[in-house]
Amino acid sequence: MIRLENIHKSFGSHEVLKGISGKISQGEVLAIIGPSGSGKSTLIRTINLLDPPTTGKIYIDGKCITEGSVDVGKIRTKVGMVFQQFNLFPHMTTLENVAYAPIKVKKLSRQEALNLGTILLQKVGLEDKEKTYPPQLSGGQKQRAAIARALAMEPEAILFDEPTSSLDPEMVKEVLNVMKGLAHTGMTMIVVTHEMGFAREVADRVWFLDAGQLIEDSPSHTFFREPRTKRAYEFLEKVL
Amino acid sequence: MGQRLMVLDFERIWPSVPYILEGIQVTLGYTSVSLFFGFIWGALLALCKVSHLTLLKWSAAFYTSIFRGTPLLLQLTLIYYATPQLIGYNISIWEAGILAFTLNSAAYLSEHFRAGIEAVDKGQTEAALSLGIPYFLMMRDVILPQAIRNILPSLVNESIDLLKESALISVIGGADILRRATIVANEKYIFFEPLLVAGALYYILVMGLTCIAHLIEKKLKTS
Repeated sequence: MIRLENIHKSFGSHEVLKGISGKISQGEVLAIIGPSGSGKSTLIRTINLLDPPTTGKIYIDGKCITEGSVDVGKIRTKVGMVFQQFNLFPHMTTLENVAYAPIKVKKLSRQEALNLGTILLQKVGLEDKEKTYPPQLSGGQKQRAAIARALAMEPEAILFDEPTSSLDPEMVKEVLNVMKGLAHTGMTMIVVTHEMGFAREVADRVWFLDAGQLIEDSPSHTFFREPRTKRAYEFLEKVL
Repeated sequence: MGQRLMVLDFERIWPSVPYILEGIQVTLGYTSVSLFFGFIWGALLALCKVSHLTLLKWSAAFYTSIFRGTPLLLQLTLIYYATPQLIGYNISIWEAGILAFTLNSAAYLSEHFRAGIEAVDKGQTEAALSLGIPYFLMMRDVILPQAIRNILPSLVNESIDLLKESALISVIGGADILRRATIVANEKYIFFEPLLVAGALYYILVMGLTCIAHLIEKKLKTS
Protein backbone atom coordinates (compact mmCIF):
# COMPACT_ATOMS: atom_id res chain seq x y z
CA MET A 1 0.00 0.00 0.00
CA ILE A 2 2.87 2.35 0.82
CA ARG A 3 6.15 1.98 -1.02
CA LEU A 4 9.35 3.92 -0.40
CA GLU A 5 12.03 4.12 -3.04
CA ASN A 6 15.50 5.26 -2.11
CA ILE A 7 14.41 8.04 0.27
CA HIS A 8 17.06 10.61 1.09
CA LYS A 9 16.49 13.52 3.43
CA SER A 10 18.92 16.25 4.33
CA PHE A 11 18.56 19.19 6.65
CA GLY A 12 21.13 21.62 5.36
CA SER A 13 24.32 19.66 4.94
CA HIS A 14 23.25 17.03 7.43
CA GLU A 15 21.97 13.90 5.76
CA VAL A 16 19.46 12.22 8.04
CA LEU A 17 18.10 9.55 5.71
CA LYS A 18 20.53 7.83 3.40
CA GLY A 19 18.48 5.95 0.88
CA ILE A 20 15.65 4.01 2.43
CA SER A 21 13.47 1.63 0.44
CA GLY A 22 10.70 -0.61 1.66
CA LYS A 23 7.08 -1.61 1.45
CA ILE A 24 4.17 -1.62 3.84
CA SER A 25 1.14 -3.67 2.87
CA GLN A 26 -2.50 -3.07 3.58
CA GLY A 27 -3.42 -3.94 7.16
CA GLU A 28 0.14 -4.39 8.25
CA VAL A 29 1.50 -3.07 11.54
CA LEU A 30 5.07 -1.92 11.10
CA ALA A 31 7.27 -0.93 14.03
CA ILE A 32 10.21 1.30 13.24
CA ILE A 33 12.87 1.05 15.91
CA GLY A 34 16.45 2.08 16.33
CA PRO A 35 18.71 4.29 18.42
CA SER A 36 17.84 7.96 18.81
CA GLY A 37 19.09 10.05 15.93
CA SER A 38 18.78 7.16 13.52
CA GLY A 39 16.14 8.99 11.45
CA LYS A 40 13.02 7.11 12.52
CA SER A 41 10.86 10.16 13.09
CA THR A 42 12.17 11.89 9.99
CA LEU A 43 11.32 8.82 7.94
CA ILE A 44 7.77 8.64 9.18
CA ARG A 45 7.35 12.37 8.59
CA THR A 46 8.36 12.03 4.95
CA ILE A 47 5.45 9.66 4.34
CA ASN A 48 2.76 12.32 4.78
CA LEU A 49 5.11 14.97 3.42
CA LEU A 50 5.45 16.95 6.65
CA ASP A 51 9.15 16.68 5.79
CA PRO A 52 9.18 15.94 2.06
CA PRO A 53 12.12 13.75 1.06
CA THR A 54 15.05 15.49 -0.62
CA THR A 55 15.19 12.78 -3.24
CA GLY A 56 13.44 9.45 -3.67
CA LYS A 57 9.90 8.41 -4.38
CA ILE A 58 6.93 7.53 -2.22
CA TYR A 59 3.98 5.62 -3.64
CA ILE A 60 0.63 5.35 -1.92
CA ASP A 61 -1.80 2.91 -3.53
CA GLY A 62 0.46 2.83 -6.55
CA LYS A 63 0.38 6.60 -7.00
CA CYS A 64 3.58 8.56 -6.70
CA ILE A 65 3.08 11.39 -4.22
CA THR A 66 6.53 12.92 -4.45
CA GLU A 67 6.41 14.24 -7.96
CA GLY A 68 4.15 16.20 -10.22
CA SER A 69 1.13 18.08 -9.03
CA VAL A 70 -0.31 16.07 -6.20
CA ASP A 71 -2.92 17.37 -3.83
CA VAL A 72 -0.94 17.16 -0.61
CA GLY A 73 -4.03 17.78 1.50
CA LYS A 74 -5.75 14.79 -0.03
CA ILE A 75 -2.79 12.52 0.67
CA ARG A 76 -2.75 13.64 4.26
CA THR A 77 -6.38 12.73 4.70
CA LYS A 78 -5.49 9.22 3.54
CA VAL A 79 -2.57 8.89 5.94
CA GLY A 80 -3.32 10.12 9.45
CA MET A 81 -0.73 10.99 12.03
CA VAL A 82 -0.41 10.80 15.80
CA PHE A 83 2.34 12.87 17.40
CA GLN A 84 4.56 12.44 20.39
CA GLN A 85 3.33 15.77 21.79
CA PHE A 86 -0.35 15.01 20.97
CA ASN A 87 -0.83 18.43 19.37
CA LEU A 88 -4.50 18.64 20.21
CA PHE A 89 -6.08 22.03 19.55
CA PRO A 90 -6.21 23.50 23.06
CA HIS A 91 -9.01 25.97 22.35
CA MET A 92 -11.44 23.30 21.17
CA THR A 93 -13.20 20.69 23.30
CA THR A 94 -12.17 17.08 22.87
CA LEU A 95 -15.23 16.44 20.72
CA GLU A 96 -14.55 19.53 18.58
CA ASN A 97 -10.98 18.38 18.12
CA VAL A 98 -12.25 15.15 16.65
CA ALA A 99 -15.10 16.66 14.63
CA TYR A 100 -13.35 19.73 13.20
CA ALA A 101 -11.49 18.18 10.28
CA PRO A 102 -14.41 15.96 9.16
CA ILE A 103 -16.57 19.09 8.99
CA LYS A 104 -14.07 21.30 7.21
CA VAL A 105 -12.18 18.81 5.09
CA LYS A 106 -14.59 15.95 4.47
CA LYS A 107 -17.56 18.34 4.40
CA LEU A 108 -19.63 16.26 6.77
CA SER A 109 -22.55 18.08 8.31
CA ARG A 110 -21.92 19.32 11.81
CA GLN A 111 -24.32 16.78 13.26
CA GLU A 112 -22.80 13.86 11.36
CA ALA A 113 -19.33 14.87 12.45
CA LEU A 114 -20.34 15.22 16.08
CA ASN A 115 -21.99 11.81 15.97
CA LEU A 116 -18.86 10.34 14.46
CA GLY A 117 -16.78 12.08 17.13
CA THR A 118 -18.96 10.66 19.90
CA ILE A 119 -18.57 7.14 18.53
CA LEU A 120 -14.80 7.49 18.19
CA LEU A 121 -14.37 8.95 21.65
CA GLN A 122 -16.31 6.00 22.99
CA LYS A 123 -14.00 3.71 21.10
CA VAL A 124 -10.94 5.18 22.82
CA GLY A 125 -12.68 5.29 26.20
CA LEU A 126 -13.19 9.04 26.46
CA GLU A 127 -16.98 9.21 26.26
CA ASP A 128 -17.09 11.28 29.46
CA LYS A 129 -14.54 13.83 28.18
CA GLU A 130 -16.41 15.17 25.16
CA LYS A 131 -16.77 18.66 26.57
CA THR A 132 -13.38 18.79 28.25
CA TYR A 133 -10.61 20.99 26.89
CA PRO A 134 -7.27 19.26 26.21
CA PRO A 135 -5.32 21.09 28.94
CA GLN A 136 -7.59 19.36 31.46
CA LEU A 137 -6.82 15.88 30.12
CA SER A 138 -4.06 13.57 31.32
CA GLY A 139 -1.30 12.64 28.89
CA GLY A 140 -2.81 9.26 28.15
CA GLN A 141 -6.24 10.80 27.58
CA LYS A 142 -4.74 13.41 25.28
CA GLN A 143 -3.07 10.77 23.17
CA ARG A 144 -6.23 8.69 22.98
CA ALA A 145 -8.13 11.79 21.89
CA ALA A 146 -5.46 12.43 19.27
CA ILE A 147 -5.91 8.90 17.95
CA ALA A 148 -9.67 9.46 17.76
CA ARG A 149 -9.01 12.70 15.88
CA ALA A 150 -6.82 10.90 13.34
CA LEU A 151 -9.42 8.13 12.96
CA ALA A 152 -12.17 10.66 12.29
CA MET A 153 -10.72 11.28 8.83
CA GLU A 154 -11.13 7.56 8.11
CA PRO A 155 -7.55 7.25 6.88
CA GLU A 156 -6.19 4.18 5.15
CA ALA A 157 -3.10 4.23 7.32
CA ILE A 158 -1.96 5.98 10.48
CA LEU A 159 1.55 7.09 11.31
CA PHE A 160 2.47 7.08 14.99
CA ASP A 161 5.49 9.18 15.87
CA GLU A 162 6.66 7.91 19.27
CA PRO A 163 3.10 8.00 20.62
CA THR A 164 4.02 6.99 24.16
CA SER A 165 7.39 8.68 24.59
CA SER A 166 6.13 11.73 26.44
CA LEU A 167 3.71 9.85 28.66
CA ASP A 168 4.07 9.03 32.32
CA PRO A 169 4.78 5.29 32.65
CA GLU A 170 1.40 4.48 34.12
CA MET A 171 -0.35 5.93 31.07
CA VAL A 172 1.59 4.10 28.41
CA LYS A 173 -0.57 1.03 28.64
CA GLU A 174 -3.92 2.71 28.03
CA VAL A 175 -2.57 4.20 24.81
CA LEU A 176 -0.95 0.97 23.68
CA ASN A 177 -4.20 -0.87 24.35
CA VAL A 178 -6.08 1.50 22.08
CA MET A 179 -3.41 0.99 19.42
CA LYS A 180 -3.61 -2.74 19.86
CA GLY A 181 -7.36 -2.61 19.36
CA LEU A 182 -6.81 -0.57 16.25
CA ALA A 183 -4.32 -3.08 14.89
CA HIS A 184 -6.91 -5.80 15.27
CA THR A 185 -9.37 -3.87 13.12
CA GLY A 186 -6.94 -4.21 10.23
CA MET A 187 -5.73 -0.62 10.20
CA THR A 188 -2.40 -0.11 8.46
CA MET A 189 -0.10 1.31 11.11
CA ILE A 190 3.44 2.59 11.02
CA VAL A 191 4.72 3.09 14.53
CA VAL A 192 7.98 4.71 15.55
CA THR A 193 8.43 3.38 19.06
CA HIS A 194 10.71 2.57 21.92
CA GLU A 195 8.16 0.13 23.32
CA MET A 196 9.80 -3.17 22.43
CA GLY A 197 6.99 -5.09 24.12
CA PHE A 198 4.47 -3.46 21.79
CA ALA A 199 6.67 -4.00 18.75
CA ARG A 200 7.13 -7.66 19.57
CA GLU A 201 3.54 -8.34 20.49
CA VAL A 202 1.55 -6.23 18.05
CA ALA A 203 3.74 -5.42 15.09
CA ASP A 204 3.83 -7.76 12.12
CA ARG A 205 7.14 -6.44 10.96
CA VAL A 206 10.05 -4.45 12.27
CA TRP A 207 12.31 -1.99 10.52
CA PHE A 208 15.55 -1.42 12.33
CA LEU A 209 17.12 1.92 11.44
CA ASP A 210 20.63 3.00 12.22
CA ALA A 211 22.39 6.17 11.10
CA GLY A 212 19.82 6.94 8.42
CA GLN A 213 19.81 3.49 6.90
CA LEU A 214 17.32 0.67 7.01
CA ILE A 215 19.59 -2.12 8.06
CA GLU A 216 17.05 -4.74 8.92
CA ASP A 217 13.53 -5.48 7.72
CA SER A 218 12.15 -8.64 9.34
CA PRO A 219 8.95 -10.17 10.67
CA SER A 220 8.81 -9.09 14.29
CA HIS A 221 8.94 -12.57 15.80
CA THR A 222 12.17 -13.46 14.00
CA PHE A 223 13.67 -10.01 14.59
CA PHE A 224 13.33 -10.23 18.34
CA ARG A 225 14.43 -13.85 18.48
CA GLU A 226 17.35 -13.72 16.13
CA PRO A 227 18.24 -10.37 14.61
CA ARG A 228 20.29 -10.77 11.46
CA THR A 229 22.62 -7.84 11.95
CA LYS A 230 25.15 -7.32 14.68
CA ARG A 231 24.02 -3.72 15.12
CA ALA A 232 20.44 -4.79 15.79
CA TYR A 233 21.64 -7.49 18.14
CA GLU A 234 23.63 -4.96 20.17
CA PHE A 235 20.68 -2.59 20.23
CA LEU A 236 18.33 -5.27 21.52
CA GLU A 237 20.90 -6.30 24.12
CA LYS A 238 20.75 -2.78 25.50
CA VAL A 239 17.02 -2.19 25.48
CA LEU A 240 15.59 -5.58 26.41
CA MET B 1 -1.76 88.37 50.46
CA GLY B 2 -5.05 86.59 50.05
CA GLN B 3 -4.70 86.22 46.33
CA ARG B 4 -5.38 82.75 45.08
CA LEU B 5 -3.22 81.72 42.18
CA MET B 6 -5.50 79.01 40.93
CA VAL B 7 -9.21 78.98 40.94
CA LEU B 8 -11.09 76.10 39.50
CA ASP B 9 -14.38 77.41 38.34
CA PHE B 10 -16.43 74.55 36.98
CA GLU B 11 -19.65 76.47 37.35
CA ARG B 12 -18.96 78.58 34.28
CA ILE B 13 -18.43 75.59 32.05
CA TRP B 14 -21.14 73.49 33.61
CA PRO B 15 -23.69 74.30 30.86
CA SER B 16 -21.13 73.16 28.27
CA VAL B 17 -20.35 69.81 29.85
CA PRO B 18 -23.10 67.94 27.95
CA TYR B 19 -21.60 69.30 24.77
CA ILE B 20 -18.20 67.88 25.69
CA LEU B 21 -19.81 64.61 26.77
CA GLU B 22 -21.25 64.18 23.30
CA GLY B 23 -17.67 63.90 22.14
CA ILE B 24 -17.48 60.51 23.83
CA GLN B 25 -19.43 58.79 21.11
CA VAL B 26 -17.36 60.54 18.46
CA THR B 27 -14.13 59.40 20.09
CA LEU B 28 -15.48 55.89 20.65
CA GLY B 29 -16.77 55.83 17.09
CA TYR B 30 -13.36 56.57 15.62
CA THR B 31 -11.70 54.12 17.98
CA SER B 32 -14.03 51.18 17.56
CA VAL B 33 -14.51 51.39 13.81
CA SER B 34 -10.76 51.85 13.21
CA LEU B 35 -9.97 48.99 15.57
CA PHE B 36 -12.44 46.73 13.80
CA PHE B 37 -10.90 47.33 10.40
CA GLY B 38 -7.42 47.56 11.87
CA PHE B 39 -7.79 44.08 13.36
CA ILE B 40 -8.80 42.56 10.06
CA TRP B 41 -6.18 44.42 8.05
CA GLY B 42 -3.54 43.79 10.71
CA ALA B 43 -4.30 40.06 10.78
CA LEU B 44 -4.06 39.89 6.98
CA LEU B 45 -0.75 41.74 7.06
CA ALA B 46 0.53 39.32 9.69
CA LEU B 47 -0.48 36.39 7.48
CA CYS B 48 1.59 37.97 4.71
CA LYS B 49 4.51 38.33 7.08
CA VAL B 50 4.51 34.67 8.09
CA SER B 51 3.88 33.39 4.56
CA HIS B 52 6.58 31.81 2.46
CA LEU B 53 6.03 34.16 -0.45
CA THR B 54 8.85 36.67 -0.44
CA LEU B 55 6.88 39.33 -2.28
CA LEU B 56 4.05 39.27 0.27
CA LYS B 57 6.52 39.25 3.12
CA TRP B 58 8.43 42.24 1.85
CA SER B 59 5.36 44.22 0.93
CA ALA B 60 3.93 43.77 4.40
CA ALA B 61 7.24 44.65 6.03
CA PHE B 62 7.56 47.75 3.85
CA TYR B 63 4.01 48.80 4.65
CA THR B 64 4.68 48.45 8.37
CA SER B 65 7.91 50.41 8.20
CA ILE B 66 6.17 53.31 6.45
CA PHE B 67 3.29 53.54 8.89
CA ARG B 68 5.47 53.09 11.94
CA GLY B 69 8.22 55.31 10.58
CA THR B 70 6.16 58.46 10.12
CA PRO B 71 3.98 60.43 12.55
CA LEU B 72 0.32 59.52 12.68
CA LEU B 73 -0.54 63.20 12.58
CA LEU B 74 1.26 63.48 9.28
CA GLN B 75 -0.53 60.45 7.88
CA LEU B 76 -3.86 61.86 8.98
CA THR B 77 -3.35 65.32 7.54
CA LEU B 78 -1.85 63.90 4.38
CA ILE B 79 -4.86 61.67 3.80
CA TYR B 80 -7.26 64.50 4.59
CA TYR B 81 -5.62 67.21 2.51
CA ALA B 82 -3.97 65.21 -0.27
CA THR B 83 -6.88 62.97 -1.24
CA PRO B 84 -8.97 65.73 -2.86
CA GLN B 85 -5.90 67.00 -4.66
CA LEU B 86 -4.76 63.58 -5.84
CA ILE B 87 -7.94 61.82 -6.88
CA GLY B 88 -10.47 64.60 -6.73
CA TYR B 89 -12.49 62.91 -4.02
CA ASN B 90 -13.68 65.23 -1.32
CA ILE B 91 -12.88 63.07 1.66
CA SER B 92 -14.77 63.75 4.85
CA ILE B 93 -13.15 64.18 8.24
CA TRP B 94 -14.76 60.95 9.38
CA GLU B 95 -13.46 58.98 6.39
CA ALA B 96 -9.97 60.45 6.63
CA GLY B 97 -9.86 59.67 10.34
CA ILE B 98 -11.05 56.08 9.97
CA LEU B 99 -8.67 55.50 7.09
CA ALA B 100 -5.63 56.93 8.84
CA PHE B 101 -6.31 55.25 12.18
CA THR B 102 -7.07 51.92 10.51
CA LEU B 103 -3.99 51.91 8.31
CA ASN B 104 -1.78 53.05 11.17
CA SER B 105 -3.08 50.72 13.88
CA ALA B 106 -3.01 47.79 11.46
CA ALA B 107 0.73 48.30 11.07
CA TYR B 108 1.25 47.99 14.82
CA LEU B 109 -1.33 45.25 15.27
CA SER B 110 0.23 43.18 12.48
CA GLU B 111 3.49 43.04 14.42
CA HIS B 112 1.69 41.79 17.51
CA PHE B 113 -0.24 39.25 15.44
CA ARG B 114 2.96 38.06 13.81
CA ALA B 115 4.65 37.55 17.16
CA GLY B 116 1.55 35.77 18.44
CA ILE B 117 1.39 33.46 15.43
CA GLU B 118 5.06 32.62 15.73
CA ALA B 119 4.62 31.81 19.40
CA VAL B 120 2.00 29.15 18.66
CA ASP B 121 3.54 25.71 18.99
CA LYS B 122 4.72 24.32 15.66
CA GLY B 123 2.98 21.05 16.49
CA GLN B 124 -0.35 22.83 15.97
CA THR B 125 0.49 23.54 12.36
CA GLU B 126 1.72 19.99 11.87
CA ALA B 127 -1.42 18.52 13.39
CA ALA B 128 -3.60 20.71 11.17
CA LEU B 129 -1.57 19.82 8.09
CA SER B 130 -1.69 16.12 8.93
CA LEU B 131 -5.48 16.32 8.97
CA GLY B 132 -5.49 17.90 5.51
CA ILE B 133 -6.88 21.21 6.80
CA PRO B 134 -6.31 23.89 4.14
CA TYR B 135 -3.91 26.73 5.00
CA PHE B 136 -6.51 29.47 5.29
CA LEU B 137 -8.78 27.47 7.59
CA MET B 138 -5.81 26.37 9.66
CA MET B 139 -4.80 29.98 10.17
CA ARG B 140 -8.33 31.18 10.90
CA ASP B 141 -9.55 28.36 13.15
CA VAL B 142 -6.43 26.85 14.70
CA ILE B 143 -3.52 29.29 14.74
CA LEU B 144 -5.08 32.77 15.05
CA PRO B 145 -7.37 31.97 18.00
CA GLN B 146 -4.34 30.76 19.94
CA ALA B 147 -2.22 33.67 18.72
CA ILE B 148 -4.83 36.19 19.86
CA ARG B 149 -4.96 34.57 23.26
CA ASN B 150 -1.17 34.90 23.49
CA ILE B 151 -1.17 38.57 22.63
CA LEU B 152 -4.34 39.78 24.28
CA PRO B 153 -2.54 42.19 26.62
CA SER B 154 -0.73 43.88 23.73
CA LEU B 155 -3.96 44.12 21.78
CA VAL B 156 -5.53 45.95 24.70
CA ASN B 157 -2.55 48.30 24.85
CA GLU B 158 -2.92 48.99 21.15
CA SER B 159 -6.60 49.75 21.64
CA ILE B 160 -5.86 52.11 24.48
CA ASP B 161 -3.22 53.87 22.40
CA LEU B 162 -5.65 54.30 19.55
CA LEU B 163 -8.33 55.65 21.87
CA LYS B 164 -5.95 58.37 23.02
CA GLU B 165 -4.43 59.01 19.62
CA SER B 166 -7.86 59.45 18.12
CA ALA B 167 -7.68 62.91 19.71
CA LEU B 168 -5.56 63.88 16.72
CA ILE B 169 -8.79 64.04 14.73
CA SER B 170 -9.42 67.39 16.41
CA VAL B 171 -6.59 68.84 14.36
CA ILE B 172 -8.57 68.43 11.15
CA GLY B 173 -11.81 69.45 12.84
CA GLY B 174 -13.38 66.21 14.07
CA ALA B 175 -15.71 67.04 16.95
CA ASP B 176 -14.32 64.55 19.45
CA ILE B 177 -13.84 65.05 23.17
CA LEU B 178 -10.69 67.11 22.86
CA ARG B 179 -12.01 69.28 20.06
CA ARG B 180 -15.17 70.05 21.96
CA ALA B 181 -13.20 70.89 25.09
CA THR B 182 -11.04 73.37 23.21
CA ILE B 183 -14.10 74.92 21.58
CA VAL B 184 -15.62 75.48 25.00
CA ALA B 185 -12.31 76.82 26.24
CA ASN B 186 -12.05 79.33 23.41
CA GLU B 187 -15.63 80.41 23.84
CA LYS B 188 -15.49 81.04 27.56
CA TYR B 189 -11.86 81.93 27.61
CA ILE B 190 -11.10 79.48 30.39
CA PHE B 191 -8.81 76.62 29.52
CA PHE B 192 -8.02 74.61 32.56
CA GLU B 193 -11.48 73.35 33.42
CA PRO B 194 -12.69 72.10 30.04
CA LEU B 195 -9.37 70.39 29.39
CA LEU B 196 -9.56 68.76 32.80
CA VAL B 197 -13.01 67.48 31.94
CA ALA B 198 -11.66 66.11 28.65
CA GLY B 199 -8.75 64.48 30.45
CA ALA B 200 -11.07 62.90 32.99
CA LEU B 201 -13.26 61.52 30.21
CA TYR B 202 -10.32 59.94 28.41
CA TYR B 203 -9.10 58.49 31.67
CA ILE B 204 -12.48 56.95 32.46
CA LEU B 205 -12.74 55.48 28.97
CA VAL B 206 -9.27 53.96 29.18
CA MET B 207 -10.04 52.52 32.60
CA GLY B 208 -13.27 51.07 31.25
CA LEU B 209 -11.39 49.46 28.39
CA THR B 210 -8.83 48.05 30.79
CA CYS B 211 -11.57 46.53 32.93
CA ILE B 212 -13.25 44.91 29.94
CA ALA B 213 -9.88 43.53 28.87
CA HIS B 214 -9.30 42.04 32.30
CA LEU B 215 -12.68 40.36 32.17
CA ILE B 216 -12.00 38.88 28.74
CA GLU B 217 -8.58 37.70 29.84
CA LYS B 218 -10.05 36.04 32.90
CA LYS B 219 -12.70 34.33 30.82
CA LEU B 220 -10.16 33.08 28.30
CA LYS B 221 -7.99 31.69 31.06
CA THR B 222 -10.78 29.69 32.63
CA SER B 223 -12.06 28.20 29.38
